[in-house]
Amino acid sequence: MLFAMAIYLHLPLMLLVISLVYSATRHEQWDEILIEAFRWGIRMFGFMLIVAVVLFVASLIIPALPF
Amino acid sequence: MSSAPSASGPLSPHEPSPLGAVLSYIIPGLGQIYQGRYGKGVLFMVSLLGMFFLGQAMGNWQNVYVHSVDERGRGGFSALVMRWHYGGQFWIGAAAWPALAQHFKVPLPEVIRDHQKMPDEGKLNQFFSNSDKAPDLGWVYTVVAGMLNILVMYDAYAGPVIFTVPKPTTKESAKASAEAKKEGVA
Repeated sequence: MLFAMAIYLHLPLMLLVISLVYSATRHEQWDEILIEAFRWGIRMFGFMLIVAVVLFVASLIIPALPF
Repeated sequence: MSSAPSASGPLSPHEPSPLGAVLSYIIPGLGQIYQGRYGKGVLFMVSLLGMFFLGQAMGNWQNVYVHSVDERGRGGFSALVMRWHYGGQFWIGAAAWPALAQHFKVPLPEVIRDHQKMPDEGKLNQFFSNSDKAPDLGWVYTVVAGMLNILVMYDAYAGPVIFTVPKPTTKESAKASAEAKKEGVA
């Protein structure tokens, strides 16, 4: 279980790099870049959290279905 | 490069720079460094190249390549477009060129002679069977890095999408008001 979870350790890195690079292409000032990157980081984390919850709930419900 | 705020016309951080875009394609962030935007240049270079090479390492250096022949055994363009991942990886620039060199059989230096060469299918399948999901995430990293570099190239070409004028410091404001007063007296 823990070994299978290891690939998710890369996700924060991906989140950080994507949000920073994307924000840096939209702004020139560092304070604006960091604020925008933080906002995008929160949005992406929220999206991934929703997907994870949906998949977790599906993994509980589907085995219990009668077919 | 930087233009001062003016009452006429929209504000722009710099004129369109095709050379900057080309440099940022070859090495991510190089166009920004050429333009004197060192901080952003280094950020793009470290982030995107780091992500691309980390992705390659996660895939055991076997996830950036193009096929040498297509399903019918023919080379050329039809073989080149068989692996769609490379359509995203290509945009990282020079870091993905060895794959093209391997496809077109261009001799590479000894150190990278087999770099990004099309892997043996049997060995590749065995590697995927014995691995967790990290190799799958690896090629995603390489593609994402390539796609993000398109935004970086645009930034080098035309500047950031949203450009705001930096607020003047207190010293600058005081100097400007003093100059305005002088002009008023004269």
